Amino acid sequence: MEAFLFYGGGLLLLLGGILMVTSRSAVNAACWLVLAFLGSSALFASLHAPFLAVLQVLVYAGAIMVLFLFVIMMLEGPVLPAEGKRPKVAVGLLAALPVAVIFALVARRLLALPEHGFTAVAAPGFGQPVAVARLLLGKYLLAFELISVVLVVAIIGALALGRLERSKPWK
Amino acid sequence: MEVGLNHYLVLAAAVFMVGMVGFVVRRNTIVMLMCVELMLSAANLVFVAFSRELGDEAGHVFVIMNFAVAAAEVAIGLAILVQIFRLRRTVDADDLTTLME
Repeated sequence: MEAFLFYGGGLLLLLGGILMVTSRSAVNAACWLVLAFLGSSALFASLHAPFLAVLQVLVYAGAIMVLFLFVIMMLEGPVLPAEGKRPKVAVGLLAALPVAVIFALVARRLLALPEHGFTAVAAPGFGQPVAVARLLLGKYLLAFELISVVLVVAIIGALALGRLERSKPWK
Repeated sequence: MEVGLNHYLVLAAAVFMVGMVGFVVRRNTIVMLMCVELMLSAANLVFVAFSRELGDEAGHVFVIMNFAVAAAEVAIGLAILVQIFRLRRTVDADDLTTLME
């Protein structure tokens, strides 16, 4: 089951990512990214993290991607004229080459390590919402509060950036 | 073959590389932001994989932090893009070179 989720989710994630980068229309790219995030959610499920799997679908594939699509529709319509006229395959390959070399080195090193499953046997209740919440509201409470401050700052910042009259200063 | 930590790390590296290439190649700033999201997602995968390997849920907490940071980043980034579009009528990174000149 874990292997199936890993290969299925990994395929979705990688395929979605590659298709997102190569698709010309921004709307298509957003849809492929949703697919990639669904694959990522399956990977979380395979790693005994059901809470994160649900959050990934709700927050990423739901909220964030809707925001992206909304802005794409609002701005320039599906295809940007600038990217329609330029098939930059050569540039893409040129950029991908050094990255592929680095990836090959990393992958070779990682796959040379001794092959085994996960060392820790997942304890009963590992990764369940209860266990994560204990940490989140216990040991990492300060970080949790600070991250909510970050969110508030982001909301206020987005509001301040989004107001219409640019010339008038804040009263 | 049993799936272990290495598999997840290789996959995460591959996804990160895809996001990185996309960020460099694409000129649509919205798609560039999406590539950043993909890279963050790869980092999240590494967090959760190590969490599973070490039997410690701390990695899950960091992933939740990452979700919040990503949401904040998208909100601010898209707000900036909307304002740029209002002023310049474009979100093409090649046309937004005012700071470079």
